[in-house]
Amino acid sequence: MVPRIKDLVEVLYREIPTGVGSKGRLRLTTQELKKVLLRGAQWVVEQGFGDREDLEHTESGGYIEGADPDVISRKAYERGSPQLGTLGSGNHFTEIQFVDEIYDEKVANSLGLFKDQITVMIHTGSRGLGHQVCTDFLEVMQRAAQRYGIKLPDRELACAPFNSQEARDYFSAMNASANYAWANRQYIMHWVRETFMRVFNTGPKGIGMSLVYDVAHNIAKIEEHTVNGRRVKVIVHRKGATRAFAPGHPELPPVYRETGQPVIIPGDMGRASFVLIGTERGMTEAFGSTCHGAGRLLSRHQAIKKAKGRSIRREMEDMGIIVRAAGRGTLAEEMPEAYKDISNVVEVVHRAGLSKKVARLRPLGVIKG
Amino acid sequence: MKGFEQVDISGDVGLRVWGRGMEELFENAAIGMADLITDTSNIKEEEVRTIHIQAEGIESLLVQWLNELIYIFDTSGFIGKRFRVEIKDNSLRAEVQGGNFDPSRDERRLLLKAATYHGLSLRRGDDRYEAMVIFDI
Repeated sequence: MVPRIKDLVEVLYREIPTGVGSKGRLRLTTQELKKVLLRGAQWVVEQGFGDREDLEHTESGGYIEGADPDVISRKAYERGSPQLGTLGSGNHFTEIQFVDEIYDEKVANSLGLFKDQITVMIHTGSRGLGHQVCTDFLEVMQRAAQRYGIKLPDRELACAPFNSQEARDYFSAMNASANYAWANRQYIMHWVRETFMRVFNTGPKGIGMSLVYDVAHNIAKIEEHTVNGRRVKVIVHRKGATRAFAPGHPELPPVYRETGQPVIIPGDMGRASFVLIGTERGMTEAFGSTCHGAGRLLSRHQAIKKAKGRSIRREMEDMGIIVRAAGRGTLAEEMPEAYKDISNVVEVVHRAGLSKKVARLRPLGVIKG
Repeated sequence: MKGFEQVDISGDVGLRVWGRGMEELFENAAIGMADLITDTSNIKEEEVRTIHIQAEGIESLLVQWLNELIYIFDTSGFIGKRFRVEIKDNSLRAEVQGGNFDPSRDERRLLLKAATYHGLSLRRGDDRYEAMVIFDI
């Protein structure tokens, strides 16, 4: 496997459009894009990009009900249409990894993970469509906040009461964007599988790549939680947090009902990423949530300054990691030193009991935007 | 003279821009933003686009102006080099001269998701106008 990483990274970089100004390979009509917004990864699987099992292993089965494609602006459609099936830039990535440590043998087994196994992690979202939805609704929400007499500490934090028309429309648009994001990752995952099959000259069975879990990393959802001993419906907004439901939660698919929800926590491109599992304690203390990722330690400029005169690509190669990035400054900005050590971050949520460590994944090949 | 500088913000990127008048400030903000996306010296001036924006305040006008340029870049690859802005009563009319970005030829710098209202400021100093805009990347 390891000698083939270079080939894999090159082909993946070619097959999955990445970085500033890249356009996707898909040409969807407006009607088809509407179906993506309504039925997310489920529609993508129906088109032949993946299988039923993928959807069982995706949060909410690959789409949320209550998305309204008609509240999405023309501009958002225009940005979203050519970018479906693209990775984006910044901290988004596709990474080939291997399992180098198992912390919970039983759970890892249920998730299909074992030591020295090869894994692929995909980190991307709703692309230009989601950004445009945010831009559009910030204007709407600023007017709404004024009308409802809400004083904002920062204009970017514009808001409105959840039952107002403005908030209802936004929630529908956000759900549609989330569905787009699940669809986007489903396409990319499908092409990753195709690439592996091509490079190793084998079929789906030979390659044996099954989805562990696909979880949203930035979303607000209506959920039931216990607050002061009472079951109440609340809106949980996870930004810089990840959903981590405990064993037995009714929203989990049968296959993970006993183990709890798998949680994917990406680290930096040099050190590690983690798979965790949701816990009861996380439910009661953090609305079924855990950490999100490593978090930056250095600003972009600090990172670029620190990388001056160095070849980050070479340094990574010396560590046995093949990297490929589209942007000129990406490797410097994304170098491991620019991030906190993910192991420390994960250790905190593990010891606090918000979620439990299952496996540590080490990078072998990284594609960045 | 350069009318902008990048500002270091953890996780995002900021632009400090200035101009002798409000219109020059808006032009410099657009030049500064294009510089975040790519090295525009290779971009040809082969096309002119006209942009109209109406906003509720001058700060919103600045954010919406930059977001309009991001939208145009994201959907068509068009990136401006030369900007002529006219502002009257929070309403903007601009002529933008530029050309298409080619990812295989042009330098790929930052993917800007949006210009934001976070930490936004726009004020008149003693001898010039100054603004600060933070971009979501």
